[in-house]
Amino acid sequence: MSEAQAASEAVTLTIDGRSVTVEKGTTIWDAAQSVGIDIPVLCHSPRMRPVGVCRMCAVDTGERTMPASCVRPAEQDMSVRTDTPEVESHRRMLVQLLLSDQPEVSAREATTGDDELYALARRYGITDVPLPDGGAGQPRGADLSSAVIAVDHQACILCDKCVRGCDELQHNDVITRTGKGYDARIAFDLDAPMGESTCVSCGECMAVCPTGALTNKAVSGIRVESV
Amino acid sequence: MKSFSALAAASGSDARQTAHVHGIDSLCPYCGVGCALTYMVDDDNDILYTRGRDGSANAGRLCVKGRYGFDYSMHPQRLTKPLIRRDSAYPRGPLSGFSRPGGSGPRKPGGVVDYDEVMPHFREASWDEALDLISRRLSEIKDTHGSDALGGFGSAKGSNEEAYLFQKMVRAVFGTNNVDHCTRLCHASSVYALMEGIGSGAVTNVVRDVENAEAALIVGCNPTANHPVAATFMKDAATRGTRLLVANVRRPGIADHAHQYLQIKPGSDVALYNAMMHVMIRDGLYDRDFVRDRTEGFEALRDMVREYTPERAAKFTGIPADDIERFARTFGEARSVMIFWGMGISQHVFGTNNSRCLIALAMLSGNVGRPGTGLHPLRGQNNVQGASDAGLIPMYYPDYQSVEDPKVHAWFEGFWDAKLSRKTGRTVTELTQGALDGEIKGMYCMGENPFLSDPDINKVRKALSNLEFLAVQDLFLTETAEFADVVLPASSFMEKLGTYTNTDRRVQIGRPVREMPGEARQDWQIIAEVSRRMGYPMDYESPAQIFDEMVRAGKNYANLSYDVLGDFGKWYPCPDPAGEGTRILFGDSFPLGRGRFVPAELTASRDLPDADFPMVMNTGRVLEHWHTGTMTRRSRALDAIAPDAFVEVNPEDAERLGIVDGGYTRVSSRRGSILIKALVTDRVSPGSVFVPMHFREAAANELTDPAVDPYGKIPEFKFSAVRLEAIADIEAEVAKGREAVV
Repeated sequence: MSEAQAASEAVTLTIDGRSVTVEKGTTIWDAAQSVGIDIPVLCHSPRMRPVGVCRMCAVDTGERTMPASCVRPAEQDMSVRTDTPEVESHRRMLVQLLLSDQPEVSAREATTGDDELYALARRYGITDVPLPDGGAGQPRGADLSSAVIAVDHQACILCDKCVRGCDELQHNDVITRTGKGYDARIAFDLDAPMGESTCVSCGECMAVCPTGALTNKAVSGIRVESV
Repeated sequence: MKSFSALAAASGSDARQTAHVHGIDSLCPYCGVGCALTYMVDDDNDILYTRGRDGSANAGRLCVKGRYGFDYSMHPQRLTKPLIRRDSAYPRGPLSGFSRPGGSGPRKPGGVVDYDEVMPHFREASWDEALDLISRRLSEIKDTHGSDALGGFGSAKGSNEEAYLFQKMVRAVFGTNNVDHCTRLCHASSVYALMEGIGSGAVTNVVRDVENAEAALIVGCNPTANHPVAATFMKDAATRGTRLLVANVRRPGIADHAHQYLQIKPGSDVALYNAMMHVMIRDGLYDRDFVRDRTEGFEALRDMVREYTPERAAKFTGIPADDIERFARTFGEARSVMIFWGMGISQHVFGTNNSRCLIALAMLSGNVGRPGTGLHPLRGQNNVQGASDAGLIPMYYPDYQSVEDPKVHAWFEGFWDAKLSRKTGRTVTELTQGALDGEIKGMYCMGENPFLSDPDINKVRKALSNLEFLAVQDLFLTETAEFADVVLPASSFMEKLGTYTNTDRRVQIGRPVREMPGEARQDWQIIAEVSRRMGYPMDYESPAQIFDEMVRAGKNYANLSYDVLGDFGKWYPCPDPAGEGTRILFGDSFPLGRGRFVPAELTASRDLPDADFPMVMNTGRVLEHWHTGTMTRRSRALDAIAPDAFVEVNPEDAERLGIVDGGYTRVSSRRGSILIKALVTDRVSPGSVFVPMHFREAAANELTDPAVDPYGKIPEFKFSAVRLEAIADIEAEVAKGREAVV
């Protein structure tokens, strides 16, 4: 592609009042990142193909609904707001909804200290969730069969990062989804226990998981506080 | 209403529990991929977990070893004080059950080497006493028998600085070129062929450039197990359309992603590659311009491969001629091909010939020097490239400068201010043979475990027992240390500063993340101290100063320094210190000028099957373990995932021999036998078996043939004639083995 062509493929938009020029096809989320505007995400990582399932990154484009910025391409003359009260309210509600059936203590906070859902809850000052626990009375289960990784389906928000980490970064093709409705969860191979599956324990799923669903087990009997 | 108590606590539980956990950027200590990662360490000097960094080789990805294999450094069996062998432990010999003749049997509790069994034969000593004893005994042997009665085993697990200093000690202080390391067991034959063919032993392109290749030839290697993160980039490429052409004797994981996979017969590689070149030349699928402008010796190659028709190759390889044709055409028609190879190519008595064929394939097709092309022998150890660059090999000073070249020799005598030997030294296997013959009297072994890593353990056992003096510098009491007079407690990867050069020629800094246990010392300081006590001062302030001296000793690391390397390292050669270094080499010419075609005929292994030993054993590694298991078998996670040795047997053979999956078998060769559990799988062909090298209780090297390649001097780990017998009563069989020894 010649330089002239490349220039003709550029689009200019405004994000929170700032003018941003990016290559056509760039997502709003990437465009915002390029000028230092941080839009919160749970299901997205720059290392991965965006899927737009968690809706945390929804922004106001002046349309009827708020699109997920991680998948929505930037358009010429688009005006995007990431900081309106409506967007903030949306994020706060989403965090509360996701927290409503989470375990009250995060296994991720206790091991690697980087639970992204909990971090968002702190960012929005949420300590209590005034919503019914949709999962009460129907625990989603855990899988402790792997030597290195603990699986807690109760903490899973079905963001599919582990699925993409396993299939698209490491190409081990072990993790998938199974079940329907509230029973939907991640599964290993044809729903085998993780420790008996073809998992090679690379830990990519654990590393990319934003919650306490996939966490490190204690290594070497060293103190890693567990819940 | 649900309440999140952890959130209610000011700043959350993470602040409380992780406040004192700090991250230190460093590298993975295991394979040649050289993944960059961060170790998360707490105030108690414990590593809690790791995180991948966006390194040039790994882009944040890790495998099970990098992610979970770090805890060996914190194992309670770490050596913390110098040890001296007690008088009662002579005559010298093995000190634990599995190390004695006929010692094979089921895994026992008590760890890798049973300390309860071995430790009583040593007493603790002060550093002064231990270092004085080493320098006195080595000096005595030098004075009595001459410098060439001494030798040193260095290690590709150590840093460039340690490798450089160790070879300097052996050369300048011991006065001999008898210094080598595990490259001899790894890619020595590939390096010989590369030096002969193009004039440089390093890779011509980096792994991740496979994304630009239309096809990749992946042969004699098992990257999903041995270079797992490199394999993820090969699989990325396959997903995007790169055609992976895979050939191996044992189905590797990467075959699942292959465009075409050929399961060839053991030892038939040369026939396959010659037949590929036959098809490419016959059908005009080669790069005439490249052959004309960049190479020499094409006619001889053409005349030789004319005899290697696919039909003829089919007889040797067991692959139908049509499949060979298709394989060759895919290779020849691709506009860019990268060639990856591993120990399945190099660890043969014809390892150099195997590599010569791959180099010829690359030059014939013009696949060197452009994006998506290149020759890439996948390096095994994290620093096997660097240790060789640093001169830890018996024929070269740093940067592959011949010890027999008078000008080079004179330069180094001046540079090091010492009298140096002009005679090429002994390789790893020649040092062992020398010890057996009584010509090598004293050995210094830093971080290697030749008892388990060298072929034919019965021979190595006799050789080590025959030494007059052996000093071992290591993290643990290894099988080799059972034979030592003095054992020195050394520093682990996690405790030292140093540079490491990965398979891509990327020189990266590894940083200390925790304190050494007890009285353990930095390896470079130990070497400097031994040298000083032997009358040669080595005054260095830091590893960076040693690195600077090493850079001055050659040309390949020019412009590099700790400051230039920074957090993510550089590829060498690095003509511009502000840049990233050179990713793709030899775009215009080879170091030799023209590349040389070296025709190679198919030859046979020495240890051929017969009626008594009808099957062929292949050896290798598994994903979770590293070489002799000294580190990985002391990692809780890795040991838990892969606790046991196994022999892979094809279902047809298993049925014929009455072997059941998980049942014990005796595997015997012309040199020894082991008791090991069977794993029945069609990954191996009928008539072939596979045994991983890591497990001392069922050591593959009890069985291997010490025959070596005539050029690279690399042993034939990949081909040994063996016999399998099902074992009904393992207890009785173990008892029989012990009686036979008594």
